[in-house]
Amino acid sequence: MSLNSFKRALWVYHLNTGSCNGCDIEILAALTPRYDIERFGMVLVGSPRHADVLLVTGPVTRQMEPRLKRVYEQTPDPKLVIVVGACGSEGGVFYESYNLVGPVDQIIPVDVYVPGCPPRPEAIIEAVVKAWVKLEKAAQRVA
Amino acid sequence: MATSVPTLDYWAPLVCLIAFVILIAVTYLFRSRGRKQYKKGTAQTEIFLSGEEPPDTEERHIRAYNIYWGFFQGLKRYYDPTIKAHSGIINDYIIWLIALMSITAVILTIVSLT
Repeated sequence: MSLNSFKRALWVYHLNTGSCNGCDIEILAALTPRYDIERFGMVLVGSPRHADVLLVTGPVTRQMEPRLKRVYEQTPDPKLVIVVGACGSEGGVFYESYNLVGPVDQIIPVDVYVPGCPPRPEAIIEAVVKAWVKLEKAAQRVA
Repeated sequence: MATSVPTLDYWAPLVCLIAFVILIAVTYLFRSRGRKQYKKGTAQTEIFLSGEEPPDTEERHIRAYNIYWGFFQGLKRYYDPTIKAHSGIINDYIIWLIALMSITAVILTIVSLT
């Protein structure tokens, strides 16, 4: 499959919406020499305005809802949203907690879910690849 | 007698013009490498403040006064009474003027008599 939607390697913005930091540590592990996603050009960037992919962790607390929406809106198109972890996917251990408005897909559209508590770095990297392929297929359907 | 000879030294207009053109070209090169997908008038072109709502332009303006903060702080003992003297009331300023003119007149009179 030819990859035409992005002209360069994907840049990723990581947003924690109330995670316990387990998933965040696994995302960082994907950057470390053992997994080293930077060899593919993928880097974590400090602003969603520079990003192609939003990696969202956490079940979305009430305080984080407007921030999550704003970060999503500030990411230029085309963009991908990947939810990392059980909490962001369906609430996890915080399911039905009084101070949650999530999971993430209740707030913003999600492309790929990575289940796990926390998921392994290989799963996170595969999710980015799957999201990219999904976007490419969607672009081909439109073309 | 020395004569002025135009040379290509540091402040020569031609050098400045060439430097300016090179600067513009490099700037354009960097700018053209940037992303073009931003939709104008949406949140995509707003500044990013960790997901916070960006304040109005007036509120995020840093006043030039802040640059001189250390200067004013160091001369606080001088500035405090001076600022108080600038009350903005014209009567106060007239009093200052008359007082200073009186003092000057007295000094000049004393000097002229001695």
